[in-house]
Order: sequence, then structure tokens, then C-alpha cells
Amino acid sequence: MNKHSDTGSASSSGRRRRRAPGLALVASALLAAVSACSGGSGDTTASASSAPASAAADRTPVTITLWSGFTDRELGVLGAAVDQFEKTHPWITVKNVGAQDDDKIVKAIRAGNAPDAALSFTADRIGSYCGSKAWIDLGPYIARDKVDLSVIPQVSRDYTQFGGVRCALPALADTYGLYYNTKLLKGAGYDSPPKTASELLDMAVKLTSYNPDGSIKVAGFVPLWGFYEMAPAHVAPVWGATWTDGAGKSNFHDPAWTALLQWQKKFVDAIGYDKLRRFTSGAGDSEFAETNLFETGRLAMNIDGEYRTAFIHSEHPELAFGTAPFPTADTRTDLYGAGYVTGNSLGIPRTTTGRNLEAAWQLVRYLSTDPAAQTLLAQQLKNVPTLTPALSDTSLTNDARFGVFMKIYANSKSGTTPPSAAGSADQDTLSALAEKYQAGSVADLASALTAADKQVDAQVAQAAGPGGGGAP
Amino acid sequence: MIGTAMIGTAGRRRLTVLAFLSPWLVGMLVFFVYPLITTVYLAFQHYDLLSPPRWVGLANFRYMNIDANFWPAVRNTAWMILVSVPVTIIFALWVAHVLGKIRRGAGVLRTVFYLPTLAPPVAATLGFVYVFNASTGPVDRILGALGLPQPLWFDDPSWAKPSLTLLAMWGSGAIIVIFLAAFLDVPMELHEAADLDGVNGWQRMRYVTLPTVSPVILFAVVTGVIDGLQYFTQGYVAGTAAGGGDAGAGSGSSLGYPEGSTLFYPVWLYQQGFQYFAMGYASAMAVVLFVAALGVTAVLLLVSRRYVHIPGVS
Amino acid sequence: MAALEGSESGALVGRIGPRRRGWATRTAPARRDRLLTVIAERSLLIALALMFLAPVAFVVLTGFMTTAQAAGPSIWPRPFHPANFADVFSRAGLLRASGNTLLYAGLSTIGVVVSSVPVAYALSRLQWRLRGPTFLVVLATMMLPQQVTAVPLYVLFAKLHLVGTLVPLILPSFFGDAFSIFLLRQFFLTIPQDYIDAARVDGAGEWRILRQVVVPLAKPAIAAVALFSFLYAWNDFFGPLLYTGENPSAWTASVALANIRSQHHVQWNLTMAATVLFMLPVIALFFVAQKAFVQGVTLTGVKG
Repeated sequence: MNKHSDTGSASSSGRRRRRAPGLALVASALLAAVSACSGGSGDTTASASSAPASAAADRTPVTITLWSGFTDRELGVLGAAVDQFEKTHPWITVKNVGAQDDDKIVKAIRAGNAPDAALSFTADRIGSYCGSKAWIDLGPYIARDKVDLSVIPQVSRDYTQFGGVRCALPALADTYGLYYNTKLLKGAGYDSPPKTASELLDMAVKLTSYNPDGSIKVAGFVPLWGFYEMAPAHVAPVWGATWTDGAGKSNFHDPAWTALLQWQKKFVDAIGYDKLRRFTSGAGDSEFAETNLFETGRLAMNIDGEYRTAFIHSEHPELAFGTAPFPTADTRTDLYGAGYVTGNSLGIPRTTTGRNLEAAWQLVRYLSTDPAAQTLLAQQLKNVPTLTPALSDTSLTNDARFGVFMKIYANSKSGTTPPSAAGSADQDTLSALAEKYQAGSVADLASALTAADKQVDAQVAQAAGPGGGGAP
Repeated sequence: MIGTAMIGTAGRRRLTVLAFLSPWLVGMLVFFVYPLITTVYLAFQHYDLLSPPRWVGLANFRYMNIDANFWPAVRNTAWMILVSVPVTIIFALWVAHVLGKIRRGAGVLRTVFYLPTLAPPVAATLGFVYVFNASTGPVDRILGALGLPQPLWFDDPSWAKPSLTLLAMWGSGAIIVIFLAAFLDVPMELHEAADLDGVNGWQRMRYVTLPTVSPVILFAVVTGVIDGLQYFTQGYVAGTAAGGGDAGAGSGSSLGYPEGSTLFYPVWLYQQGFQYFAMGYASAMAVVLFVAALGVTAVLLLVSRRYVHIPGVS
Repeated sequence: MAALEGSESGALVGRIGPRRRGWATRTAPARRDRLLTVIAERSLLIALALMFLAPVAFVVLTGFMTTAQAAGPSIWPRPFHPANFADVFSRAGLLRASGNTLLYAGLSTIGVVVSSVPVAYALSRLQWRLRGPTFLVVLATMMLPQQVTAVPLYVLFAKLHLVGTLVPLILPSFFGDAFSIFLLRQFFLTIPQDYIDAARVDGAGEWRILRQVVVPLAKPAIAAVALFSFLYAWNDFFGPLLYTGENPSAWTASVALANIRSQHHVQWNLTMAATVLFMLPVIALFFVAQKAFVQGVTLTGVKG
């Protein structure tokens, strides 16, 4: 009958559709079950705190991935060092991936598609990497292979561990100092760079030239927080300002910070906040490009890291420049020669397992403790090596302008930002306050600094969570 | 025979309905109900996706008062809803009104106003950041030539949100077109009656046109507010594009340039949840956002009852 | 909707309806004032239209500039440097990102259409008790900000090791989309009951009615829905940022564009060139599919 045949076809397709809800219910139940095992129980993480297997035997080929924040030329240099590693460890192939900053590394570890080894540009996140156990504790491997850590200068050892756990090894350091355009300085009658904050201010004002419409043509120095490498952290060491007090609490109320912020505001006002903003608004992303304001002669003096010498050499070799330690506070000339130190840190995400783990450790160990590797990287990246033997390499020390930064690194008064469970929250908080203050939006600096202290302490507590240990 | 076919198939009809609804039903369960419940659950935990969640009670909610960025984020999003949405809608109404009076060239103008809507938000925002850049963009240059003040737009904390509003107005072509269609739909009889009464333009707008198109305005307001509550892309892209060269230390996670003026609530939520991986706190923020959405919807429904005239109802 | 973002409901062009000349009829003494007002308003409108076009023009022009020129305030590129447009593809991986976007947009469009049509049909042409409330629930889900559900969904996909792929973006499309359901329902309501009754008399089951009667009649609406879905996926940023952010090989074009300057320290000229390239396919689509856009306006919100 018509009805039955049609019903038949309808019900068969109906049956097809009716099966769908059943499947869907099963699927959703599955999903619920999977997500119900929330937390780390579902993760496959090898605990490296259990004694790692002996290194020797396994030579079966293995491929591992290394992530770093390097790009373009610098990535190529890292690749050269990695090639050397592959020659001495022929069974290991390394995929060298660049442009992966800390945010991406952090995300990838959570998502489960993290690299086998990671090279972070900064040491700012070490507190959270170690505290949250996102990076494994390298201690057992260091002990197993009897790696001698004393060849690594103390300051770099300090910023690669947190809470008694060493989850990273340093691979080259960055130090910050003053770059100055010798031609522009001579043109204004200066033979030597400024040594104190007041000298810097005076010279900068004199070196600034203007367009007919009143806008800045060439800036003597740009004191704006947030411009290129001008950050409170980079200037703090030569003002004697520390991030934490003896008890580990935030220390922004220290008079050294107030002095620094007030000097900077005076500096900004001397040239003009609006004029400076207009000058820098077009330069937003030129820091690592050929249009860098200092390299193109539109900025007479600048605070920058030692790697800038390599950029200048490759992009603007004709530039006549000099380097010197950054000017100190007028009352702290004893700090002259010191500077801010930070560096790259190498670690192994907790998601790396099995033979990849062993291979990753070999790579990490190579890049952080092999003098040949460090010298190669230091020479071509113009970074400061974090191995005492490499520090005396003549090819590095012969370059006078680069040598300045090596001396800053070796200076006992140079400082870094202490690792914290909240990662870079302390720097972010202070920078936010400093930027508001320079714009004139903060009436009462003292109370704002105390509020910032409370904020940072609360963030550290929040990040550590109940019982401590966990971190963003 | 139809009757015979219908009787006795009630049960099968219910199954058919279920079958047809099944994709949406499953979707509701998996992508709506389950996440909502879990969000509320996670709001009371400390969770970073690496270790199991730990119960912290109301700590996340209490932290909202300590978090220096929480209330500014609320204020920024509120600004978009209370300022940007009305301004954009009024602008669209005005443009549609004038467009409606034109006979020749209306089609071309309509297309011109509509085309920017097609620009993907990321592209549009980048374009605007560049065009309004004080040093490299043409806007300030033209303003300067005219002797007018040249704000720093996306680089100035007092101008960043207004600049984003300009961006929203630029992209309001879709509503302009909807309003235009609605204006043209106002029945002739109403206009003729108004003519007979000798009303002027403003009175006509107030007593004839606007009430008739009030459902459309409501629609625009509702969708505008919903978009405002989840306003993310333009704020994120503008902040990172204009902020560009942040100082190396601690950068990469500083959003809201300049001075936190573009740190909208969803942007801060994103940063907390997916950069810092403070997922418990981000979930608490999500709960607050959900409650806010409910509240705003309720307010809109109440307001619409008074002001919106649905044909045949009032 | 497009108050603030060019989201899926945004594609509306304008009706082709009878023009209302009527209400411009005025009494004589006021006519001169009216004329002045009209001229003023019209000029303002034209000026506004030019201002609407200007950003696009500047962006395109900048795309042709050299790096040094783009860093300065000049408006006209001198010399023209069209190599930028090719450069962008090689330097910024835009080709792969575009491929990802097409994959995401294409698959999710199919998913939305296939899953939303039956739901809309059930909500419009089938009689059942909870139909009204269910439709309200569908509408209610449109009010939910996407960030409310973002965290748990991310956790879920992370556990399934799907983060870093396009799957979390595409999968939800196969489970119905509230807005598309709404649009389709509105359209289905306009289909004359006779067609459906005739089919029922012939003994066809609902599935067959849907397939053979309703869908062919609803082609314009389905085309509009497909268009909106495609546009939504093309413009989507939050989702791709969340799920593919740390995996550059899975980036969609919107994420690639947002990252272009930090990835390769590209300058404004290349960024603007990439921006233009990203907008072109959508504009082309608009001109090709205008009819579907027009259909959208008669469906969306004119009658609330």
C-alpha cells in the first residue's frame, strides 16, 4: 500500500534520524566523563623527580622540538648552534621553531602540544614555570650527570630557580646600558656620555632638535616608560631600588623608587609629554626593525641591551655609536658600572616524556654548559655568555663596545628582578603605575605606590593559591 | 485518510520532532548547559589546568575587589554599552533618515555606507589604528593643516574609546540599511495624517516615524548591547597594535594600551584565563558577566514594554 | 549584530521597494527653507560618504608604499611598491592562514546549514506543545556572551588534545546555530501551508517533506544563512585566537593578521597590504552574492 511504502521510507529515514539522538547522547556522556576527570589526572606527565634512567645506551634516532622567541637572523644563529649539537649527538634531530614567546609556551603546555624544550627570552616567568611545575625540575638530571653549576655566574643561577627548585638553566644573558650617537654628541659639544641622571637630562634636552612646526625631529633621549627598553626594571639597579624587601614583600614604598619616578617625570616634562608621545607614536614596532630610531639617527641616546650591537652591525654598520653603563642616580654614583641583568632560560615542559625527555635534556645541557656553543651564540647574537670560561673569550672582549656589557654583567652591584610566583605581575603593576604617573594622572605618588605594593602581594598570594605552589 | 494518517502517530510525531531537534539539543547540552554549570563550579576553585582544581570558596570573588584591573575593566565595557552603542545607533538613525529623503544616487550611497561592514574586524581595526596614528596617518595631518587640534587617538587614554566608537560608527552600515528599510516601511497613511495636522520635521520623527520603527530600534539596541558585553576583538587588536613596541621586560601580556583604557572586561577575562591561566578567577569573572547579561536583558525587556510599539499590540 | 562588530546578522543591503516621496510634500512658504535643508543634508551626506571611503583609500595606498615612506606622514606612495602584496604572502605565511580560514569557514558553513534546517523546520512547521518555549530558549542562547562558556570549553578541548587545531571551531557548527535557526524559521513560516498539506496528503513523512518541498522553496534563505555563516567564520577572531593562538601553522587569517607585526617585525606598509588582501575576498563575495544579502534583510529584523 501507498501508505506503508511511504511510511516505510519515512520511518527508515526516520530511523536514521532517530539513531542520531542515541548516538548524540552517548557522545555527550563520553564528553562529560572525559571532562569529569578534571585536573592533572588525565595528563601524561613523566615525573622527572623520580630518578631518571641512565643516560648512555639509547642511540635510536629521535626528533625533538625546540621553541624560542627568536626570529629572522637571530633564529638562524640559534639554528647554527643547534646544528653543532646535532653533529655531536647524531641520533638526535632538532626542529628549531622561532617566534614562540612565553605566552605561547605557557598555552601550549596546558593544551598538551608543547615543545620538548623551550627557550624563553626572559627570566620573568621562572617563578611561575617552577612554581606551577610547568617546567620540570632539572635537579635530578643535573645530579645524575654531575653537571658543575659553579661555572655559571651566580646572578644567572639566581634568576633560573625559584622556591628551591631549579627548573631552568641560563643560556646567554642580557645586560642593559646606554647607547649614544657619537656624531650627534660631538655636534652638541659633548665628548663623553653622561654618568649621572642629571647629566643625562641636561644632555638630552640640549640634543633634542625640532621641526618648524614644533614637533621633535631628533630626540636626545626618550624617557617615556614603555618606549623600546625604557622600563622601571631596567633602570632600577642604578638607582638602588629593589623589588622585594627582606621579608619577600613588595618594596615599591622604598624612597629609591619614588626618587626614580619623580626624576623620570621631571625628565618627561622638560621635553614635553605630548611632544614625546607624538614622536614615538609612529615608532611603535620599529624596535627590532631597520627603522629603529636610534639606528637611523633620530635618537641620540638610548637604553638598550647588548644585543643591539649585533643589530647595528647587520643593519646599520655605518652608524657611529658608543656604549657605556647607564647613568646612575645623582646620589648613588657608587653604582656606576652596574646595570640590569636578565637572560634567556632553557627548560623542559612537563609534557615531554620518554626518549624525547632524555634528548631534550641533552640539548638543554649542551646549550647552557658547552663553552663552544655559548661562544658561538655570544659572538653572533652579541649576547653575554653565561659561562665563566666563555666570558674571557678574546673575540668577545676585544670588541670594546660589546665589552662594556660584559663588564656590567660581571659587576657585583648589577641586579635582576627576583622570580615570583605571579610571574611578571610585579613589573606589570609598577609599569602601569609609572605610565599613569608620567602622564600626570597620579596625584598622590606615595599612596599609589603603597597601593601597588598591596596589589602585588595579593597577586602573589592569589597565584600561589591555597597551600602555595600553583601559579598562573 | 488524512485523519487516519494523523491519529496514532502522535508518539511517532514526538520522536520526529526530537529527531529534527537533535543536533540543536545535543549542542545545547554540550556547548551551553555543561559549560555554564562548569563555569559556576570552577568559579569556586583555584585551577590552572596543570594540577587538579582546589576549592577556595569565595576567594575568587573577593579578589575582584583587590584586583586593580577588575573595576576599570567593568567601567570600560560599561562605557561601550552606555556611550558607544547609543551614539552609533543615533548616528545610524540620522544617516538612514537623510538617505531616505534622497532619490537619485541613493543606491550608490547606500553601498558606500554598507561596504565597511564587510571589513573583518581585525582588518578594520588595524586600518583605523594606522589612519589615526599621530605621526604616520593622514587624519592628524589634515587636522593640522586645518588648524584644528590633533589628538593622539589610539595612543591617548582619553581618546582610545572614542576612537573605537568612531570605528563602530564606520562599521554601522548594516544598521543604517535596516533603519532605512524600516523608515521606508512607515505606512503612507500615517505620514499623510501628519501632513494634515501640519507637524514639523522633528514632531513627525517623534510621533510618527520613531514609534513605528521602534521594534527595529529595539533590535538594534539589544544586539548592540550583546556585542558590547562581549566586545573583544577591536579592543584587543587596537591595544596591541598601537602599543606595539612595549619595553621588553614583562611585555607580551600587557593589554589595554594606553594606560588600561582598552582593557575591556572580556579582554581582561581572556588575559586572566588564557595567559595567566588563573582559570578559577576567570570563571568567577565569567559568572559575573553572565549575571550582567541577564540583568541587562531584563532591563531592556522592561524598557521595551514601555517604549516599543509592536504593530497590533499597542 | 553589527552595532559594534560586522557579525553574521550584518549583511543587509536595502530593499528594492517603492520609494517614499510623500512626506517631503510641504506647504509653499516653507519650501525654500526645506530646499536649503535638503542641500545641506545632502552635502553632509556626501561628505560623510567620502569620509567612509577615505580610510579604505588610505589603507590601500599605504599598501603600496615602501617601508620608509609608510613610517612618515605622506599620503601618496612615491614610488609605487606593489611587491609588498607578494611579500606579505611569503613573509607572513598568509597563504597557509588563508587556507585555514577557508577550511574553517567552509566546513562550518556546511555544518550550520545541515544542522539548522531541521531544527528550524521543527520550530515552524511541526505542531508540538513546547514549540513556543523552545524557540524562546533558542533566542535566549543568542544573548549569552561567548566568554561565559569559554573557560570550560577550552578545558574540555584541551583534555581531548584538540587545542591547536581548528576542530574546536568547526565542531560546534554541526550542532545548530541560534541565529541561523531563527532566520530559517522566519522564512519557513512564510511557506504556504498548502504545499505542505499536499505533500502530507500524499503520505510523505516529515523528513521527505523537508527535503523535497521545503528546502527547494527555501533556497534563498539557505543561501543567506550560508553567506552569514561564512562571513562570521571569516571574521571570527576570539575563537581562533583562543584555540590556535600558540600554533602558527593552524592560524586563521585574522590571527595571522593580528600577529603580523610582532612575528616578523613587519612595518605598516606590509601590514596594510595584508589588510587589503584579507578584505578582498569578502568584498568580492558581496558583489557576487548580492541577492542573498538582500534576502537577508527581508528575513532579519525589519518586522522584529
